Amino acid sequence: MNEPNDEEIEALLHRQFEGPVADNGFSERVIGDLPPRRRRAAWPLRLGGLAGAVACWLSLANVPMLQWGWRDSLAGQLSVAAIGMWLAMAILAFLALGWSVAESGKR
Amino acid sequence: MADSAEEARIDQALVTRIRLGADQRAFEQLVRRHQGMIRAQLRRLLHGDEAAADDLAQETFVLAWRKLDQFRGEARFSSWLYRIAYTCFLQARRGPARHEGIDDESMEQLQTPARAIDLQLDLERAMQRLSTAEQVVLLHCSQLGLSHDEAAYVLGMPLGTVKTHATRGKAKLKTWLAAWRDVANTEKFS
Repeated sequence: MNEPNDEEIEALLHRQFEGPVADNGFSERVIGDLPPRRRRAAWPLRLGGLAGAVACWLSLANVPMLQWGWRDSLAGQLSVAAIGMWLAMAILAFLALGWSVAESGKR
Repeated sequence: MADSAEEARIDQALVTRIRLGADQRAFEQLVRRHQGMIRAQLRRLLHGDEAAADDLAQETFVLAWRKLDQFRGEARFSSWLYRIAYTCFLQARRGPARHEGIDDESMEQLQTPARAIDLQLDLERAMQRLSTAEQVVLLHCSQLGLSHDEAAYVLGMPLGTVKTHATRGKAKLKTWLAAWRDVANTEKFS
């Protein structure tokens, strides 16, 4: 028995395939039957953001370091607590920005 | 390769247009670009039942329209459509995989080459003799032109399993079609 090689089998299979089907009105039928596309509601995202902010405020409101930092900032003093508080807020903001950019890149 | 990348870039641009403004014209372009191959895939899966294949193809595109937000671009848009179409096919078939094997008489005819039997007919019979998994893997890899990675994504199989089915399927076809080749060679040298 003289077996055909891989390339010959590939070529035979390729030849056996009839190729893409002609449209003949198919696309129009599909477009005619499309349901209206529902856009994703924005309110769950906003509600989630608000809930996260409230939870963050409730858990951090009694941290002395933040209280001192806030108080010093209002008084215009550049203390270690004030710098630490603003630095922490800046880092968190950058992390959130990075996450948003990464998520939008996936879409 | 460059053409393939360009095609993928055009698809991605059309998808973005749809996302930004539910642009039906952009989706129509996507349908026109891919309907031929999706319908061909489904016709092969349904053994030539054109009406059923077109129904499933229509269902595939409606699902793609609805679920476009779920397309994350981790695969080519065409592979994503093939995957939806294959899932629609599996759901339509429902239940365990049917193996529409050929009867013993036909198999005997296949193994005993006769000059009148056309090679393409033999190949069609040999394909039907393969297991369902081998058939679908060879359809997607050798006929629709997907890579093993893409076929694994479309069929929801591990990459190793796809490679195994492809190798086994081709080995079986080689054995079954060897008889035909012997006749062809005899004719050539006589």
